[in-house]
Amino acid sequence: MTDPKTLWAAVSRAALNWKLLVPLAVALELFNRLSPASSSTLLTEVAILALFATSLNLLMSFGHMVSFGHAAYFGLGAYGFTLAVTRGGLAPEMALLVGPLAAALGGLVFGALCVRLTEIYFAMLTLACAQITYTVLFQWYDVTGGDTGITGFMIPRLGLSETGYASLVLGLVALALLALWMIVKSPLGLMIRAVGQDRARAEALGLAARRVQLVAFVIAAFFAGIAGTLYAVLHGSAFPDYAGLGLTLDGLIMVVLGGLNSFAGGIWGAVIYEMLSNFVPKFIHQWELVLGLLLLGICLAMPHGFAGLLARLGWRGGKGEK
Amino acid sequence: MAPILSARHIRKSYGAFVALRDISLDIPHGERHALIGPNGAGKSTFIACLAGQLSGVEGQMLFKDENVAALPPAALARRGIGRTFQISRAFLQMTVLENLMAAHVIASGRWAALSRRIYGERIDRAHEMLVTVGLADRARDRVADLSLGDRKRLEFGMALVGEPELLLLDEPTAGMSIKERHGLMDMVAERLASEGRTLLFVEHDIDVVMKIAQRVTVMVRGAVLAVGTPEEIAANDEVQAVYLGGGH
Repeated sequence: MTDPKTLWAAVSRAALNWKLLVPLAVALELFNRLSPASSSTLLTEVAILALFATSLNLLMSFGHMVSFGHAAYFGLGAYGFTLAVTRGGLAPEMALLVGPLAAALGGLVFGALCVRLTEIYFAMLTLACAQITYTVLFQWYDVTGGDTGITGFMIPRLGLSETGYASLVLGLVALALLALWMIVKSPLGLMIRAVGQDRARAEALGLAARRVQLVAFVIAAFFAGIAGTLYAVLHGSAFPDYAGLGLTLDGLIMVVLGGLNSFAGGIWGAVIYEMLSNFVPKFIHQWELVLGLLLLGICLAMPHGFAGLLARLGWRGGKGEK
Repeated sequence: MAPILSARHIRKSYGAFVALRDISLDIPHGERHALIGPNGAGKSTFIACLAGQLSGVEGQMLFKDENVAALPPAALARRGIGRTFQISRAFLQMTVLENLMAAHVIASGRWAALSRRIYGERIDRAHEMLVTVGLADRARDRVADLSLGDRKRLEFGMALVGEPELLLLDEPTAGMSIKERHGLMDMVAERLASEGRTLLFVEHDIDVVMKIAQRVTVMVRGAVLAVGTPEEIAANDEVQAVYLGGGH
């Protein structure tokens, strides 16, 4: 297993690779401290969605598994946390771990089914699993509150101010993204990429491809669960829509906008998507039209998205595997 | 010498089309054995059967006395059967070094993917393999940017990393120049002979076959036509009539 020395070397390497993002993190925190409370809430949502999109991106860009049901694990994270507080009687601070674990467990169960298939059949099975999750959350009134969800069970943001919670989320999301980056750059990440690029080749070398895909699926679900938990804490509530197809599509759009085949793609995508959805409607009523045109342009002219554009301009932070 | 591989009555059909008809073949330990025959003879299908890539295969395949006919490719690889593909299949979007490291991590067992220590220990060995296959100066290049010949060399290196006791090469020199073919196969033969490994390869270049193989099996229309030393095969009138004399 990894000894402390090699672990520290890996962390150092990852931190160095992130040196361009350190000023960004400082700028974000300054923005958070100096801007109105509503901006802090927006910043919190962007950070949470960046983590959600990056967890989806782990599957898509590195494992080459397109999931049409990734929101299920966001929802399981949110409900795992919420039910741990409302049904389990845990303090919210203690329940924070339950959400991601519930999502990982969901990822283990559904992933074991999904990785038996490939390509479009895999995608359809992820969609089916997500729809099952959504339906259970929507209709199991006694436990999940059905379509009205679960609200008012805690003080939103763990009682912190908008600015304070934004700082907490920024810190946690930064740690989670660093962990995901280290996974991508680890031997396990190499295996995930190998199976994604050529499953038959990997199997001919002796790799149990399904097992690797399942591990990737559970990891992605776990980090989506962290995002879902942080979102439930932000609003002090959980709704079935957290596991709905709409959020999955949002995630897919973020990854494509930000850049497939790039680790930073999910982060850029979440920032661009949230900016568009918050500011464009102030000027153009049909903001989805703008989004549609933007997607059309990216798919036709910039298939590697915003990160690909940065890479073309020579900024290594946007560079990923092509 | 006892066979490392015994194929017994191997049959494979695609609907009404019979690709392999009752193939039986023994490959002794340490032998370099060539499969030759015209296109459509079933050579690649036979290799794919041995590598566990096809379902619905009838017959027995004894590898070191264990029937491995129903095992999937990964299980066969872990038992010591390595292979390359007719069309080069390295991981195109990775660097050359990453490809070899992927092979090393896989060969190091199921927990190796969780250990950076094992990864660090294998890097020197990966560089040694790069020297062996003549790609030392291409370590940081993406495989997608390599020539076909270099990809084949890399694939051979990846297959060797797992130290297979039986190596299956499906047309390893296809698409290469004559000089590249002989260079690659000389290297393969030298490496395998020095380590006492067994080789079964499909090859169309008769010069390469005659130089490298110790025994040759000729296949025609899904069946074995003849088995023998290269000299015996070259002198076989039936083989001359249906294959060697047919424009090769």
